[in-house]
Amino acid sequence: MPILEFSSVTMTYGRGRAKTEALRDVSFTVPEGAFSVLVGPSGAGKSTLLKLVLAMERPQEGTIQVADRDIHRLRKHSIPYLRRNVGAVFQDFKLLPDATALENVSLALQVLGLPRREVRARASKALEQVELEPGTKRSVSRMSGGEQQRVAIARALSGEPAILLADEPTGNLDPRLSREILEVLARINRNGTTVMLATHDPIVREAGVITHELGLEAGRLVSDSLADIDPLHAVDLEEDTNPVLNGGVPVGAVA
Amino acid sequence: MRDWPNTFRAAGYVVSRAFRGMAQAPMVQLLAVATTAVCMLLLGTVMLAWTNAQGVAGAWGIDVPVTVYIHDDAPTDEIEELAGLLEAIPEVTSVERVSPQDAMTRLAEGLGGEASMLEGIEPGVLPSSLEVHLEDGTSSGFISALGEKVSGFGVVEDVAVAGSWTDQAQEMLRTVGNMALGAASLVGFACMAIVWSTIRLAVYARRSEIQILRLVGGSTQFVRGPFIVEGIVQGALGAALALTLLYAGFDTVRPFLEDGLSLLFAAGTLRFFTPTELAIGVAFGALVGLLGSRAAAGRYVVT
Ligand SMILES: Nc1ncnc2c1ncn2[C@@H]1O[C@H](COP(=O)(O)OP(=O)(O)OP(=O)(O)O)[C@@H](O)[C@H]1O
Ligand SMILES: [Mg+2]
Repeated sequence: MPILEFSSVTMTYGRGRAKTEALRDVSFTVPEGAFSVLVGPSGAGKSTLLKLVLAMERPQEGTIQVADRDIHRLRKHSIPYLRRNVGAVFQDFKLLPDATALENVSLALQVLGLPRREVRARASKALEQVELEPGTKRSVSRMSGGEQQRVAIARALSGEPAILLADEPTGNLDPRLSREILEVLARINRNGTTVMLATHDPIVREAGVITHELGLEAGRLVSDSLADIDPLHAVDLEEDTNPVLNGGVPVGAVA
Repeated sequence: MRDWPNTFRAAGYVVSRAFRGMAQAPMVQLLAVATTAVCMLLLGTVMLAWTNAQGVAGAWGIDVPVTVYIHDDAPTDEIEELAGLLEAIPEVTSVERVSPQDAMTRLAEGLGGEASMLEGIEPGVLPSSLEVHLEDGTSSGFISALGEKVSGFGVVEDVAVAGSWTDQAQEMLRTVGNMALGAASLVGFACMAIVWSTIRLAVYARRSEIQILRLVGGSTQFVRGPFIVEGIVQGALGAALALTLLYAGFDTVRPFLEDGLSLLFAAGTLRFFTPTELAIGVAFGALVGLLGSRAAAGRYVVT
């Protein structure tokens, strides 16, 4: 059963002359439990795609379903419930700089109205999952980029969402930290959470954790390792020594 | 389905966030409360004046427009006959017989502290009278015609038709009442504007937190809540402070008014707001705060 489904989605920013088409007729499905990755050059529409899943933007055309719920026409007051089911790690983290890691993670649980004790317990657990010390009194602004990234992941995880989205989770990190973060995400994925990340970092593809790859270029989906929409491009992927393709994961791309 | 325990706990987080936010900017809160209080003080003063004007009007006997003074030597049965005739008129609600003794007691009450002035005065010097109470809204034309008729009776020495000056007093009361109403709406708007601008600043200062809360699934109420609570607290505190100041002022001024204008304000006629009225005042402040902060948070807290 797909946990995420896009059908002929077109998304345009702005109006009139300022119009920018960020996605054009994009269709794909992500199976439950997948570790999907969105690749493509800058401006391809990766972040836009993730924003659509969070209902931060609305498509002009097409339909989007998350766990069989239509979200392209979600009513405004239902959006919070969607977001509680979709954990997101943003490119710029979106953390409260003056708060501690624990406080930052707790915010996402207070929103659910959980009892204080449970908020604390679950936030601590989420921080331990990303190998951070929950008791630290340091504010997030005094943490390294890698630590902040992990706080952001912990917050996204803490509500036990069905899907975890991450936009360039290794974007600001050195290769060693990047691999660490990927290992954290892989572990989360092994525990049953569907993970979808956007990246142009080759390390992600090399790490051997991906089960599904979607290629975007100038707003169009040019490859889908599970659907084989572009054999030519898929061959490129294989030549890239994509670990997924070499690792025997079912991919229809190899002609 | 709404999960009520979670909703309540979420409300708890909202309230504690509100107080934390207020503690983070105490000067802003102080200023907001103080300016709100100044506004409310104005309103409170007008309201208090109005309340007391009504009280004084009552004490003056504004509802006794016709007093019929009787000759000292008039026979009782003739007085009774006149009273009976008057009582038969549909517009007359009641006719009260006031003996010289009653009149003396009333005068003494009216003079309050100065009652000693009456020592040695015999009640007999005051005439006995009939007080004719009329229905509300009886026209002053009817009242003066009635007065004229009654003065034709032999037992009647004089008729005091209070119509003209009660009309004026009532007119004055109405004016003060309208002023109070006008002041209430003006002050309401001013306070709302004060709360609105402080909350707008708070929303602006915490805009990244607002965005984060929205992105992690905070409902509109959850995100807006702290600001609304802050507005309500500012409004209510402003009103409470205003009422406290007003009470202090009232307490200082009361003895002077009661001594200096003892005929107008007999001791005890001047009063402060009742506990219920005070509660309404504070609730009014809270409501104004709510409306002001809702307007401020509604506009800036978006998806
Ligand atoms: N808020 C916006 N308003 C107008 N245009 C936008 C907005 N956000 C993105 N775009 C445009 O939409 C297109 C896709 O942008 P998007 O951010 O999705 O790309 P991306 O693949 O995430 O790029 P990057 O790898 O640089 O993060 C770009 O042309 C971009 O300029
Ligand atoms: Mg991007």
